[in-house]
Amino acid sequence: MLKSWKLKEIVLMSLFGVVFGIVYLLFIHLGNIWAGLIGPIAYEWMFGIWFIVSIICMHIIRKPGAALIPETMAAIIEVMLGNAVGPRLILSGIVQGLGAEAAFTVTRYRHFNIFVFMLAGIGAAVFSFIYGYFVSGYAALDPGFVALMFTLRVLSGAIIAGIGGKYIGDALLATGSLRGYAIARTQPRDANA
Amino acid sequence: MTPMPETIFEMNNVSFRFPDDQSPTLSSISFAIERGERVAISGSSGSGKSTLLYLLNRLYPANCDGIVEGEIHLFSKPADSYAPGEINHRVATVFQDPDSQFCMPTVEEELAFTLENLNTPASEMAERIRHVLDITGLSHLRHVSIQTLSGGMKQRVATSCALVMNPEVLLLDEPISHLDPYTGKEFVLWLDQLQRTFNLTVIAVEHRLDYWGTFFEREIKITSDGRISEDATFEPHEILRYPFRLHSILDETALSATGLSVKMKGNTLLQPVSFHAQKGECIVIAGPNGSGKSTLVKAICGIYKKQAVKFASDPCGYVPQSPEFLFLTSTVLDELAFGGMSSKLELDDLMESLRLTEIKEQNPFSVSHGQKRRVAIGAMLADKRNILFLDEPTSGQDEKALLKLFRLIDSRLDQGDTVFIVTHDMEFAAAVADSIVLLKDGRMTGKFLADRVWQDPELLAAHNLLPPKGVTRRAESFA
Amino acid sequence: MRNLLHDMNPSIKFITVTIVMLGLAFFFNPWTPLLFFFSILVLQLVFSRINWKIWSLFMLPFVIGAFGYLWTTIVFGAETGGTVIWSLFGFDVTDEQLALALSLSFRVLAFSSLSLLFALTTDPVKFVMSLMQQLKLSPKLAYGVLVGYQFLPVLKDEFFQIQQAHRLRGAAVEKFWWQRVLGVRRVIIPMLAGAVRKAERSAFAMEARGFTGEMRKEFFRPVSIKAKDYALSAAILVIFISTSFLGSILSN
Repeated sequence: MLKSWKLKEIVLMSLFGVVFGIVYLLFIHLGNIWAGLIGPIAYEWMFGIWFIVSIICMHIIRKPGAALIPETMAAIIEVMLGNAVGPRLILSGIVQGLGAEAAFTVTRYRHFNIFVFMLAGIGAAVFSFIYGYFVSGYAALDPGFVALMFTLRVLSGAIIAGIGGKYIGDALLATGSLRGYAIARTQPRDANA
Repeated sequence: MTPMPETIFEMNNVSFRFPDDQSPTLSSISFAIERGERVAISGSSGSGKSTLLYLLNRLYPANCDGIVEGEIHLFSKPADSYAPGEINHRVATVFQDPDSQFCMPTVEEELAFTLENLNTPASEMAERIRHVLDITGLSHLRHVSIQTLSGGMKQRVATSCALVMNPEVLLLDEPISHLDPYTGKEFVLWLDQLQRTFNLTVIAVEHRLDYWGTFFEREIKITSDGRISEDATFEPHEILRYPFRLHSILDETALSATGLSVKMKGNTLLQPVSFHAQKGECIVIAGPNGSGKSTLVKAICGIYKKQAVKFASDPCGYVPQSPEFLFLTSTVLDELAFGGMSSKLELDDLMESLRLTEIKEQNPFSVSHGQKRRVAIGAMLADKRNILFLDEPTSGQDEKALLKLFRLIDSRLDQGDTVFIVTHDMEFAAAVADSIVLLKDGRMTGKFLADRVWQDPELLAAHNLLPPKGVTRRAESFA
Repeated sequence: MRNLLHDMNPSIKFITVTIVMLGLAFFFNPWTPLLFFFSILVLQLVFSRINWKIWSLFMLPFVIGAFGYLWTTIVFGAETGGTVIWSLFGFDVTDEQLALALSLSFRVLAFSSLSLLFALTTDPVKFVMSLMQQLKLSPKLAYGVLVGYQFLPVLKDEFFQIQQAHRLRGAAVEKFWWQRVLGVRRVIIPMLAGAVRKAERSAFAMEARGFTGEMRKEFFRPVSIKAKDYALSAAILVIFISTSFLGSILSN
C-alpha cells in the first residue's frame, strides 16, 4: 500500500500530526481541570481536534490510507513525546483513523465534499466511542449519560473535524502552498461535486 | 599526472515542465560536465536552477511527476535507467535550509541513517563515521544533538552526511544562503579543503556568487525563462553595488530609550541600553547570533516585557523574517485594513506607494516573498506604526530582490518613517544605514555613525561581521 | 537489575502493556485494578530507576481524572441492584454502585501506572527503531515519524512566534474557550503552510542520501529480543492474571 506514496506526502502527514499535537496539548490542560470537576465528559467536545488531521490529509492527498496513516503517525509521535496516556494512544489512533477512513472507503475515494468530510468526522467519533465504551467501561454509566457523551462526540467529530478540516484544507489551498498535491489538481472539478 | 577528461553528466536539448504548469521551467538545456570540475549554476530566484540540480540527483522527475524531454546521461547511462536511490551514493546533495535536512537526533545517528540506506555492513559503519568526522573536523560533535547546533554547523553536518557515502559528485543547492556572510565565508573555505581531499566534482546552484571568491572554475547562467544564456570560465563576481543614498534624517525624535533592559524568568536577556532615533533615520542592528538583537527588537515592539528608566516612542511595527507570520486574513486589502486605523483613501495611497494595488485581491500567503514583506510593512504603516523593525530581511535574497528591498527602505525613509534593520549583511548595511547599533552577549557596545564603523575592522571583527567590500574596496580571494 | 525495564525490548513492552490494558477492561470489581496498580508500582521500584518526582507529576492529572470518574459513575451510574449505603442530596448510593465507581476510577489509575511504566522507561527513538525492526513497521512511516519528532521544538517555537506576531496586530483577544478554538485557526494556517515546505525539503534531503523506503538489511544499532524480554513480559502477565483472580475472590 505504501509503494504509491511519495516520501514528501508521508513526512507532510507526520508534520501535520505534530502541529495538531501542539494544539491539542494546549487544550488538554483546559480539559484536565474540567475532568476533575465534571468527569470524562470534559473531553468530549474537543475530540474532533484528534480526528481533524485525518480529514485535512485526506482532503489534500486523496489516496487510500490518507486518513488512517496520519492519525496513526500522530499517535506514535505523541507516545514518543512521553504522553502519559501511553501505548494505548496508538491503538486509539488506529481506531479513529479507521473510522475516518471508512467514510472515504464507502464513498470509494471519489467524493471529497463537506458531507463526506462530516461523515468521516462522525465515523471517527463512532469508532472511537465504541473503543472507549469497551476500554473505559462506559457500560457502567447511565444510558442517558452515555447517549449525551456519544452525541457530543459525534457533533465534535462532524463540526470540528469535518467542517473544520474542510475549512483548513481550503484555506491552505488558497495560500498556494499545496502545489503538486492532489487537492490542487482536482479542485476545479470538485467544486461542482 | 593529469587524468583524462571523463564526462560524467550530459544533457542534450533537455526541457522540463511541471504537470500543473503551461510553460516549461527549463528548455533546450545542453551541457556536459567532466569529473573534477567545480561548476556554478547561477540565475535569479525561480529560474529553475534547483530543478536542474534535481534532475542530476534523480529527485525529479519522479517526485513531482514532471515531464522531461531530451536526453539526460548520468555516468554514461540514461538517467531513467537508474532505480530509485541507486545513484544517490555517487551523487550526494547538500540543500539550503539547515533546519530541514535531518531525521535523527544526533550527528552519529544521522550518519548511520545514511549508511543504512546504502546497506553498508554494520561492522564497517562505526569506522566510516569516525573517518568522515575526522576528515571534516567534526569529531567533537559525534554525540551532539543536531537541533542544538548553529546553522553553519548544521550545514557542515549535512555535508559530512553527503561525504560519508564516498560520493563522486557533490551537488550544492544554495548551501550558504541561510548563513550569515561571516559563517558563509568560513563554510566556503572549509569546502575548498574538502574538495581537494576527496577530488570531488562540485556543482553548486547559487545566487550570491560574490561570497564564493574564486572557488569555481566554470559558470552556467540560467535565464529567468529557463534557458542557458552563458556557459564560460568562472570570473569572480563583483559585489552587488547599491545606488547611492542621500540621508533623510529629520530633526524630530521618533524613539528614545534610557536604561532599557529585558529580564525573563530571572535571566537578564539584555543589559540596560540607551539610544535615540530620529524620524527618517535608518539604523542597522548587528552582532553575533544570540547577542540579543531579536530580544531588543521584540522588547521595543512590545512583544517582550521590558524595563526602562525612560522610554518614549511613536508606535512601532515589526516585520519578522517570515512576514507571513503576521497575516490574519485572506486578501492583501483586508490585511492592510485589519487594524482599522486608516481611511479608505489612506489605504489606497499606501497600497499605491508599496505597489500592492495590482495584488490587493490576492491571498497574502500566495504572493512572492518580496511582496509578502511589502504587505507586512503596509499592514504596519496602515496601523500608523511609523517606526519599522525589519528582522533579517536580506537573508536568502538574490541580487534583484536586494535591490528592490533597498529601494523600498529608501522610499520609506524619504517619507519620514524610521527604519531599524536587523542584519548580518554589511554590504547592505553600508548602503542604507545612517547608524549602527552593535550588540554582543546581551550588551550594547554602542550606537555608532555608520561611516565610523566601516573604518574600524577590529570593531567589526569583534562582532563576527565582515567589513563591507564596497566601502573598503579590498580585493578578497579565498584560494 | 534496576535497568531491566529500561533495557527491555520496546516492541515486546508495547505489546505486553497493550494486551494487559485491554485485559483489564474486562474487570468491574475494585480489587483487580487496585491490586494491579500497586503491583506495577512494586515492579517499577525493583526493576527501574525512574524519577519518582516526575512520576508523581504525570500521575497527578490522572488522579484528578479518576476522581471525576468516581463521582460521575456514582451520580450518572446505570441502574444496579444492591443495598443503599448512603443517601446524599436525594441520590441513593448502593454498595454495588460504589464498587463499580471505585472499579472504574481504579482502572484509570491502573492504566496510568502502566502507561507511565512505558513512557518513563522507553527511549522514543529506540521505540520507533524497534517497531521497524521487530514489528516490521514500514521504514517510510518510521522515519516519517522521526522527522516529525525532530521538528517538534522548531514547530513549537514557530507557534509562539506566530502568536506573538498576531498579538502585536491586536488579533489575540480571547476571553472564552470557543474564541480560543476559533482563534487557533489563524495560527494554524501559516504553520501548516510552513510544514508543507519543510516536509518536502526533509523528504528530498532523505532521498538524496539514498533513502528509498525499502526494508533495511543493516542496522547501526540493531534492537534485539533476548530471553529476559520474554521473562519480563511474562512477569507482567503473571501479575495481571494473579491480580484478576485475587480481585475476583476478594470482591465476592
